[in-house]
Amino acid sequence: MSEWAIEIENLHFSYGRNEILRGVNMKVPVGSIFGFLGRNGAGKTTTIKTLLGLLTPSAGSCRVLGIYPAVDPLAVRSKIGYMAEDQQMYGWMKVQEIIRWVGSFYPSWDDKLIAGLLDLLELPREGKVKTLSKGQNSRLALLLSLGHHPRLVILDDPTLGLDPIARKEFLRYVIGLLQRDGVTVFFSSHLLYEIEPVADRVAILDHGQIVKSASTDELRESVRRFIIPKSDFNADHLTGLLDLTRDSDSASLTVENCDEKKRAQIVQLAGQPIHEQGLNLDEIFEAYVIGNRGVEKKIHFHNGHVYGEEQAHA
Amino acid sequence: MEVFVIYIRIESSSAVPIYRQIADQIKYQIALGTLRVKQKMPSVRELAHQLAVNQNTILKVYNQLCQEKILQVDRGTGTFVAVGQQTIPISQRRQIVTKILGEAAVQAIHLGVEIREVHDLLDREYQSIKQQQLRSKQDE
Repeated sequence: MSEWAIEIENLHFSYGRNEILRGVNMKVPVGSIFGFLGRNGAGKTTTIKTLLGLLTPSAGSCRVLGIYPAVDPLAVRSKIGYMAEDQQMYGWMKVQEIIRWVGSFYPSWDDKLIAGLLDLLELPREGKVKTLSKGQNSRLALLLSLGHHPRLVILDDPTLGLDPIARKEFLRYVIGLLQRDGVTVFFSSHLLYEIEPVADRVAILDHGQIVKSASTDELRESVRRFIIPKSDFNADHLTGLLDLTRDSDSASLTVENCDEKKRAQIVQLAGQPIHEQGLNLDEIFEAYVIGNRGVEKKIHFHNGHVYGEEQAHA
Repeated sequence: MEVFVIYIRIESSSAVPIYRQIADQIKYQIALGTLRVKQKMPSVRELAHQLAVNQNTILKVYNQLCQEKILQVDRGTGTFVAVGQQTIPISQRRQIVTKILGEAAVQAIHLGVEIREVHDLLDREYQSIKQQQLRSKQDE
């Protein structure tokens, strides 16, 4: 078997004239927890629908567990677990009825596993789906995605709308139930701080393209910000510049893949001691998706409202 | 078997990577004596579950602390707080401390705390941690 659970090459997709995916490239290692990040509207759900074979790409290809979903969508869906964004389930069914119903689609459905999971996830067998809390609802959706022993589980913004305690609890199940057994987890979210503790690797999707893919620690350590007490310098030769903000007498530079060589270049640029900062993940995310790459702008527009309305879900 | 909870807090808005936050807090607790020599650490899975953190992150922390001889692995039985002094070279130990003191110096200058006072404060902190260490050793 391949070392990649998901391979995406130059994937394009358009709704009419509206180009959603513009050449996505991404590889998800088998057994990893992979965080797929992007703002709302970046194309996360569209990418996922393509992986499931629900949408046909206009160009490029993807393979899921070695299978092309565009060619054999049913084979893909029988092998993976999928939890949709804000998953809707029949409210009038009882928990055990919906389990039986979903299980009937899968020849390899494991009733014994499900019985254990029901207890572990503290779900009421006789409760009606519509009476479940948000947390129970997402746990039930997770359970339904696991009954057929998938080797890959795709979770589309699974913690959307959960309170912080339910969210942490959910992530615990992802680590305990899936990582332990070597299941690959592909997890989309717009919250970096949520992804960081659980993800081995992350990819950031922006305007239909992957702007960064790295191990979580690497991402953290390679993006640095420098504060320089002057603003009249030329930074054109600097590679990996994510953001440059100039003031009348100072400037801040955010760079990726920062190493000693780049640090020396920046010190030389400043001609004096500089102040270096590490960034938290939200700031790193911000630098990649709305960074101002050298275009002149006097006012810093990163004003804490980066996520706009998405913050309401947080 | 005794199961215990380690008190570790992860600051999600911090610029410090999670594995370093965890490693630093374990070191701190060993220095304070709340984690004692020869004490058994939770397994990778247990700690990952407790903190809701990727198992590989915990593995990385344990590996790093083992390399620094702060923890040690006993094959088959688990990971323990190591006996004896760490064997990190003195130059590296100084480097680590210098970095933290540098940050403290910046703060002191900004807050207008005199250097003599900083020395006194450091003395006091050092002594109080040493005393706590002693007390928890006597409790054993």
